[in-house]
Amino acid sequence: MKNFLRTNRLGIALLLLVSLASCTTTTIDEFRQGETGIENNESVVILGRRQASDYETRAEFVECVGEGMNRGENPISIVPEQEFIDAMFPWFEPRTAPLRTRDLERLMTEAVVSQKMTEFGVRYIVWLDGFTETTDRSGSISCAVGPGGGGCFGFGSWEDDANFNARVWDVGSLTNVGTISTDATGQSYLPAFIIPIPLLARVEANACSRLAIQLKDFVNGS
Amino acid sequence: MRGRMRTVLILVIALYLTACGVNNVVIEGSFPTPNINKLPLNVAVLYGSALTEFAYIEYSETGSEEYNIASGQSHIELFSTVLPAMFDGVVVVESIAEAQALGVDAIFEPIIEEFQLALPTKTKLDVYEIWIKYNMRLMTADGDYIADWVLTSYGKTPSESLRSVEAAINAAAIVALRDLASSFSLSFSKVPEVKDWLNTL
Repeated sequence: MKNFLRTNRLGIALLLLVSLASCTTTTIDEFRQGETGIENNESVVILGRRQASDYETRAEFVECVGEGMNRGENPISIVPEQEFIDAMFPWFEPRTAPLRTRDLERLMTEAVVSQKMTEFGVRYIVWLDGFTETTDRSGSISCAVGPGGGGCFGFGSWEDDANFNARVWDVGSLTNVGTISTDATGQSYLPAFIIPIPLLARVEANACSRLAIQLKDFVNGS
Repeated sequence: MRGRMRTVLILVIALYLTACGVNNVVIEGSFPTPNINKLPLNVAVLYGSALTEFAYIEYSETGSEEYNIASGQSHIELFSTVLPAMFDGVVVVESIAEAQALGVDAIFEPIIEEFQLALPTKTKLDVYEIWIKYNMRLMTADGDYIADWVLTSYGKTPSESLRSVEAAINAAAIVALRDLASSFSLSFSKVPEVKDWLNTL
């Protein structure tokens, strides 16, 4: 046993660090306001909110949630965000996009908008709003290069907090049918012994996959 | 040996020049056609050299030229996409006299009045921002005043670790140009003077 521990010391240390790095806590909160369900010929469009002055919902996160909803059991047809916004131009730009279902109702009176919505077969619009924040940075790493080679030494760590909420609008009834919030936090580490080894908490990826699963179930009415 | 020294010297000089020079950013992008109802008007568009050759220079905190942002051509591309979707007929003219000879309903002349850039290094926010202030002018075929109004556009893009500053400035500018296109196309007939003029037709 002693021999095993001695020979695999590095492997055990790495395993411990990886298990520490994968410590991500995700909380999902669902608030349902109406009945949902979707037919095979209907689709969902996921749009990022970009009205805030100091942040904007990243297009990559929106795409990640869409891909998650389009995978696995009972996949849902997703209209790509940019394709939808371009086709609807100029009605879904940051300054002109509807903020409330009342605005959507007004927008649907525009023949061009309702016609495009029918062409895409959009049953639900999901508005994603949020961002990932990095806090509690600590530690330091210093790197040096000399004639004989180079290397880095030190240790750094930080916490990531991904906070997103998804509002689901039913295009058929022009109502808000529910809101799903997700909050994922995780600690990342960067030990450096000659080379830096990043042990990253997949906070945003976890928030994305959990939100996608929850949204899929929500839209399917289960 | 001498050849190798020369190569190293050239590389060092090139690096030195690159580090000191201004970074040129030419705004490039594509714009979708607006889905709006066309107005039954034949409009001549006059692009002045102040618009076609528009460039904004951002200075560093030490006062040296940091970024030279050329957005004139991207504005022409934007108006070339937006205006045909707004009016029945659009023709680009070089002068008011040319527009008079063509017998158009109105002459439109966009002018950039102000351009502002906010970099994350200066604002300490994780976004690149661009503000543009325009003066839109609408004249009769004879060059008489119809309307003259101010329009502002805004674009921002989040800072990303693997994206260059130039690419981020370009992305923010494209958002600002799309914002211009959306507000201009949706608000044109709501400008009081334009509305009054349209009612007289």
